Amino acid sequence: MRKTLPILAALSVTFLLAPGLSYGQSTPFDKLPDWSGTWSMMGGTIFDKATQTGEGGAIDHGVREHPPYTAEYEKKYEAHLALRDKDLYPDTITNCGVPAGFPRIMNLPDTFEFAVRPDLFYIVAENGPNTMRVYTDGRKLPAKEDTWGTYTGVSVGHWEGDTLIWKTIGLKGARDNDSHLDRTGLILSDAAEITTTMKKINDNTLQATMVIEDSKALTKPWTVTKQFRKGKPGLYMYDYGCAENQRNPVDTKTGKTLILGPDGKPVN
Amino acid sequence: MKAANKVVLLAVAVAALVTPVFAHHSGAGFGKDTKEIQGTVKEFQFMNPHSWIQVMVPDANGKMTEWSIEWGSPNQLGREGYRPSTFAPGTKVSMKVHPMTSGAPVAAFVAAKTADGKTIGKWDGE
Repeated sequence: MRKTLPILAALSVTFLLAPGLSYGQSTPFDKLPDWSGTWSMMGGTIFDKATQTGEGGAIDHGVREHPPYTAEYEKKYEAHLALRDKDLYPDTITNCGVPAGFPRIMNLPDTFEFAVRPDLFYIVAENGPNTMRVYTDGRKLPAKEDTWGTYTGVSVGHWEGDTLIWKTIGLKGARDNDSHLDRTGLILSDAAEITTTMKKINDNTLQATMVIEDSKALTKPWTVTKQFRKGKPGLYMYDYGCAENQRNPVDTKTGKTLILGPDGKPVN
Repeated sequence: MKAANKVVLLAVAVAALVTPVFAHHSGAGFGKDTKEIQGTVKEFQFMNPHSWIQVMVPDANGKMTEWSIEWGSPNQLGREGYRPSTFAPGTKVSMKVHPMTSGAPVAAFVAAKTADGKTIGKWDGE
């Protein structure tokens, strides 16, 4: 032991002096807010509850929202609403594997995690499952010609105190008719750019305010706010194997959401 | 209190919170009328994106029809205390459901009672 003690002492001193390992030393994480735990979206899956008219949820006939659409996009939305009222609006996320995209990822049921790192912010939605990344490492947004339209686009942000602000570009929007905002048939165009401000408004509530600008679809910026309630400590998130027992595929020819009986054949 | 009783109480306590929520698809096709069926659980598909309870239901002449009863995602139900064992095969059940308007033996789950008196979902006040 006599020989071992000096070695142990030397190792201890080495450990304490090692960069990044010293007890009590601050890390970049210390400057970030605590958004740990699980979260659930509040208020149902109408994307813009503030402008809703009609009673019920997104699938109920007569329900709609009122974005400041251009005449062209209002016409498209009315066509989608008419299909929805016949139960024929094809919500593509029902077919497993199609991402919800942004901003719809902020409009999903089930459970979320909002993972805060110094260089990156992850939105992890159990439903889908869906993931989105916001880069906070100081990079700039790419030039528009370096984006090609994806479901969640490209997002770059920064922290102002405990508030995260990010901008999203490069969304595919309605280009392929497979990226919607909710089941009423709300859409954006591939010109959409969204500035999101996210912060805790109390210990148990996160709030994301999205200012949506879209030179093709909107006549003026459209502001939508979504809130998320913190789950009880210790809750688990699970995988969401959407294709595991998919008994509700959308018939892409008719737009109808099928219901499959025990023999795998549609019953509707 | 025994652990098993706690689980049952938890299930009862959260029952009021459990309504048919179809996060994955539109839910179109299911009516708003409530029907009561009695039968025997054939299979509980506790799988994503939605759980399905297969129930064999006899008519007045004893002819069996297999009903498909759709419920929430196992993730959602699991967090509320439900398990694959909640509807074990062979369990005799009475169920309140919202059937499809087409008349097909397919419905959305509302509530159930088992022979041992356990209630799952909001049996009263629906």
